[in-house]
Amino acid sequence: MSKDEKTVYKSLGLCGFGLGSNSAAVDVKDGKILRIRPMHYDDAYDIKDMNPWRIEVNGAVLEPKDKTMPTPLQFAYKKRVYSKNRVPYPLIRVDWDPNGERHPETRGKSKYRRISWDEATDIIASELKRIHKEYGPLAVLAQVDGHGESKIIHAAHGCPGKLLDLMGGYTLQARQPDSWEGWTWGAKHIWGMDPVGKQGNVQNLFQDIAENGDAVLYWGADPETTPWGWGGMQPGRLVRWLHDVGLKSIFISPDLNYTGAAHEGKWIPILPNTDAALHCALAYVWITEDTYDKEYLATHAVGFEDFKDYILGVEDGVPKTPKWASPITGISERQIKALARYWATHVVSIAHCAGGGLIRAAYSSEPARLEVALLAMQGLGKPGAGQINFMDWGLFGIDEIYPLPRSACQPDLSSVYNGWAMLTYPVNFIPKTLIPEAIMNPPIKWRGGHVIAGLPAEDQVVEWDFPHNGDYELHMIWTDSPCWQTCWNGGFDMQRALRHPNLEFILAQHPWLENDCLFADIILPTTTKLEVNDISNDLFSGQYNMLMHEEQAIPHVGESKSDFEAVGEVAKKLGLYEPYAEGTEEELIKKGFENSGVQNFVSYEEWLEKGYYVVPTAEDWEDDPRGMRPFYDDPEGNPLQTPTGLIEFKSTLLEQFFPDDEERPPVPHFVPYGESHSESFLHPRAEEYPFLLITNHPRWRVHAQNDDNTWCREIETCKVQGPDGYMYEPIWVNPKDAVVLGVEDGDIVKMFNERGTVLGGIRLSERVIPHAVYQDHGTRVDNIVIGEFDRAGANNLICPSNTTSKNAPGEVTNSFLVNLEKVDVFELAEQYPEAFKNRGYEPETGLIAIDRIVEGA
Amino acid sequence: MKTFVVDIDRCIGCHNCQIVCKDEHCDNDWMPYAAPQPDTGQFWMKVNEQERGQTPKVRVTYTPIFCQHCEDAPCMKAAENGAVYRREDGLVVIDPAKAKNQKAIMDACPYGVVYWNEALAIPQKCTGCAHLLDDGWKVPRCVDACAHDAILFGEEEELAEKLAQAVDLKPNLSTKPRVHYLNLPKRFLAGEVADLEEEEVLIGAEVTLTNLETGQTYTQRTDEFGDFWFKQIEAADYAIDVTYDGYMPRHVEDFISTKDKDLNVDTIAMYKAV
Repeated sequence: MSKDEKTVYKSLGLCGFGLGSNSAAVDVKDGKILRIRPMHYDDAYDIKDMNPWRIEVNGAVLEPKDKTMPTPLQFAYKKRVYSKNRVPYPLIRVDWDPNGERHPETRGKSKYRRISWDEATDIIASELKRIHKEYGPLAVLAQVDGHGESKIIHAAHGCPGKLLDLMGGYTLQARQPDSWEGWTWGAKHIWGMDPVGKQGNVQNLFQDIAENGDAVLYWGADPETTPWGWGGMQPGRLVRWLHDVGLKSIFISPDLNYTGAAHEGKWIPILPNTDAALHCALAYVWITEDTYDKEYLATHAVGFEDFKDYILGVEDGVPKTPKWASPITGISERQIKALARYWATHVVSIAHCAGGGLIRAAYSSEPARLEVALLAMQGLGKPGAGQINFMDWGLFGIDEIYPLPRSACQPDLSSVYNGWAMLTYPVNFIPKTLIPEAIMNPPIKWRGGHVIAGLPAEDQVVEWDFPHNGDYELHMIWTDSPCWQTCWNGGFDMQRALRHPNLEFILAQHPWLENDCLFADIILPTTTKLEVNDISNDLFSGQYNMLMHEEQAIPHVGESKSDFEAVGEVAKKLGLYEPYAEGTEEELIKKGFENSGVQNFVSYEEWLEKGYYVVPTAEDWEDDPRGMRPFYDDPEGNPLQTPTGLIEFKSTLLEQFFPDDEERPPVPHFVPYGESHSESFLHPRAEEYPFLLITNHPRWRVHAQNDDNTWCREIETCKVQGPDGYMYEPIWVNPKDAVVLGVEDGDIVKMFNERGTVLGGIRLSERVIPHAVYQDHGTRVDNIVIGEFDRAGANNLICPSNTTSKNAPGEVTNSFLVNLEKVDVFELAEQYPEAFKNRGYEPETGLIAIDRIVEGA
Repeated sequence: MKTFVVDIDRCIGCHNCQIVCKDEHCDNDWMPYAAPQPDTGQFWMKVNEQERGQTPKVRVTYTPIFCQHCEDAPCMKAAENGAVYRREDGLVVIDPAKAKNQKAIMDACPYGVVYWNEALAIPQKCTGCAHLLDDGWKVPRCVDACAHDAILFGEEEELAEKLAQAVDLKPNLSTKPRVHYLNLPKRFLAGEVADLEEEEVLIGAEVTLTNLETGQTYTQRTDEFGDFWFKQIEAADYAIDVTYDGYMPRHVEDFISTKDKDLNVDTIAMYKAV
C-alpha cells in the first residue's frame, strides 16, 4: 500500500442508538474512498484467540467466517457519502424571515439560499432565546430519535437534546417501539417478555431448533432483506443452514419475500393482516381434534377456557373453523387443516425479523398475542420450539436475547454516547405517532404511558397528556431525523402540521436534502460517519462482537460538520459549549474504551494501535439455558413477567384496566375493523378501495435511507422507469389483478384512498397474491400537491393516522386499503406544470440538492 | 490456471457481487488493467433475476453473469493489435489503451458481457480484478463479498470436485469458458393433490410425471401439505398420473407443458373409488 493510502474500520450499519454493526474495512486514497470491503477479523489478531464457535447438526456446519459480512447497502455506501443529494452548506428558506414574515404556509415548496455557519448559528441562538422567553423551553420539540448511522460521540440523533437540556429542557418526540408494535402492545400482555414483547429468552435457540426442530414458520419474516440495515448476511446464512440441517421452511405472508423466493420451502400466501383469523382456525383444529398440550397449559397458562370459548364460538356464536377463516385469509380450508395437523405432529418454531406486515398493521396486538397462544398450545419451550428472532440480537446488551453462542462481552458505549436523549425516561414528551395532532390540535391525551421501547407492560395502562402539567404549545422543532412523513403514520397529516402557523421555526440538520428537511426554515449540513473520528462497536454480526476506533476516513464533504459539532456551533453562540462537549474527542474515545467492557481484555494502547478488538466467544456458552426451557421445565421457579407469572390467554392487566375494549379485548380476538380502523375486506370501504397494500421494510433502503444510491436504483427490483424518464417506486401486482385493472408491466399508476394519492410503477409479479399489492415504504417524498399527492410513491403519506387501537398508540403503516388507476404521466405534467417542469432531477440519483437552492441569492 | 465456479443454488440475489464490482471500478482508475467504469449502466458483474412459476408455487432464480474468460475467446479473435490478451492465470483482459475505438470486441462477445464506454471509446468488462490479484489478493471483489459462497475462485485442481459437476452457461457456444456453473435452472413443475369434496389434501399420493417426448418418468409422493414439486426437469410436454389408496387414479396431460415456463398445475382433484 502506498503512502497516500490508508485503511480504516467503520461499522456501517444503519441502526443508530449507539449500536454498531455491519463493519467494513474502508480503503482510502488521496482523501477519497477507494473501496469498501469486508473486514478481516484476523488482520491484527489470531482467530484462535477469538475462541471460534462451531455448531454441527446432521453434517451441516455453522460457524463464523474470518471476515465480516456486509450487505449491498454498506458496499454501496460510497455513493451515499458522495451523493448529489448532500446538503452542501447551511441553507435558509428564502421566504422565511425571523424578523418579519415567516410564511409557514409555503414550507415544502420554498427554495433555499446559502448562508454561512456563522449567520445560521446566530439566527438559531437568537430564536432559541426568543422562544424560551416567550413560551418557555417546552415549546421546543426535539425530534432526535430513530435509525441512522451508528455514531457515538458524533451521534446522528440526539445531540440537540443534549444542548436543550442545558437550557432548561424541551419536549421530546418519544421513540416508540416501531416495527414491534404488535409485540409491545399485544404480546407483552400474554407472556410479558421485556424488552420488546418478542420471546425474550432465546439463548442458544438456533442450536436447539437445529438439533430438535422439524420446521420454521417464517411468518412475515424476511431474513434476506430486513437485517441488511444492521445484521448483515448471517441471518440469511442461518436460513440456509437450518434448511441444510433438514428443517422445513414455511413462508406465511401475502408476498413471497426475498427469503421465500430464494430459499427452498413452502409459501402459504395469506391476505394482508388476516393472520389472526388463521391463528384462530389453527387453534380450532387443535381443540376439536384434541392435538394440543393440555398438560402444559394446566401448569403454564391461565385463562385458556375463556380463549377456548372464543375459538369454539361459545362467546360470540361464531366458531373459528377453517371454513370460517378460508374466505377471510384466502387460504383453502384444506391447507389450513394441513398446516394445523403438520404443526401438531412436528416441532415447529416461528421466525421473525423487525417488522413483518402483521406486526405493523391495524390491531397488530391481536395476531401477536394469538401467535404466542399457538406456541403455548404446543408446549412453548419444549426442545426445538420457540419464537426465534433473526435480527436485533445486540440491541439491548442483554445476553438473554442473543440466540447464537454468547460473546464474552457486548461492548457498551453508553458512557460517551451523545444520542442518549431519546433513551431517557421522559416527562415532557409526545408519542411519535401523535406528533401531527400535538402540533395542530393540542391538548391531546393518550393511554399507553411513556411509549418507550423496553418499558414493562404496566406502563401501558398509564394515561398521559400533552401539554403535561402546564399550558404550552409547540412553537419550534429541532430535528436531526427529518424523515417523519415517509416513515410514520399518516404522512400527509404531518405535512399539514409542518405548515401550521404555530410553528415559528423549524430547524433541521442532516447530511441529505430530503423529506422533512424541505419543510425546515434553516438546514444545517451534517457529515456521514466516514468523515469523523469516533469510537464504535459491532453487536449484530452473529459472528463476533467488536470494539473499534473509527479513524476519520475522508475530509468533511462540502461545508458539513458532524451532528455533534453542528450543535456545538450553536452551543458556542449560547456560551454553553464546554458543558455541552464534556471533553475533547480523544478524551471521549478513551473514556468510551475504558467503560466499554473491552478494557478487561486488551490495553487502550494496543486497541488504539490495532484499531479494533474482537471479543472472544464466551468459554461456557454451551452451558447457557436453551431458550424458554427453564420455564418449560419449571414455570413456578422461572415465572414470566406477567402478573400471574404464567402465559395469560386472558390478560390480567387488560381485564383490570380495559375490560370493555373491543379493539384489544382481554382475550385475544381477530379484529378486522372497529372504532379506530376499517382496513379490511370485510368492511364496506373495500368496495371503493379493493386492494390491501403491503409495505415491508424496503429491499434497497433502510426506511428513508439510501433512496439516492445510483448503484441500487439501477437494480431491476429497485425502481420502474416511467415514459417520462422518472424512476417510480415499484408496485407489485398479480397478473390476474392486472387484467382487471387494465395495466401492464411498466405502467405508471396512482395508488390512492381518502387520505391521498401516491404514484408507482407496475411490476407484474406472481410473488404477490390477487387482491394484495406490494410497495416498499420509505422512498423520498416528491410532492405534486402538498398534503394530497406525491410522485415518488412514499406510501406512508396515505397510511392511517390512527394508532394500533384506541388504547395502544403504535403506528399503523402496513396492510391498508387502496385503489389503483393507470395514469398518463404527460397529462399529469400538463395538469401540474410546477411540480413536473424545470427540475434538477436525475434518474440515476433522483432528486438532487441543487434543485432546491436559489443561485446567487 | 484459475477458474470460477458459480453455484446458482446458493445465490440469494443480494447483488453484493454486482455492487462491489462497481465499488472497485467506477471512478477508480486501474490502468493498465482497466479504465474507470461509468457510474451507471455497465455491469461487469450482473445479477440476472428470473421469476419462475405461478402463485403459490414460485421461486426466483438469480444468475450472476460476467466475462466467461473463455479459452477460445471470440473477443480475442475480433481484437486488433492484441488488444485482448490472456494472462498466465487464464484471465482474459482487454487492454484499454490498445482497444480504443474497437467496438468489434464488444460485438464479438456471445455472452453480452462486454460494454461500450462511449466517453472513452473503449470496450470494457470484468478483469477478474487482475490488478488486485497482482497486488496480493487471493480472490476478486465479487468472491470476497459473497457471504453465501455462491461464487468461488481458485486453481482448477482446488475446485476439481465442483468442476466435475459444473456446466457452461451456454453449452452450445464452444468458447471453452473458465467460468462454470452449478445448478443452472432447468424447469420445475409443481402442484397439489386434494379431495375437494372432503376439502382435504392427500398426503403420500403417488405422483408420476412422464416426459411425453422422451418417455422418461419421475415419481414423488405428496408431502404433508399434499404438495408435489418436480425440480430441474426438461422443458417439455408432460403427463401426470396420480394414485392414492381408495381413490380413482387420475391421468392429466392437457396443457401440462414446461416448454415456455415453469409450471404450477395447481390442484389435481381426486375422487373416491366407488
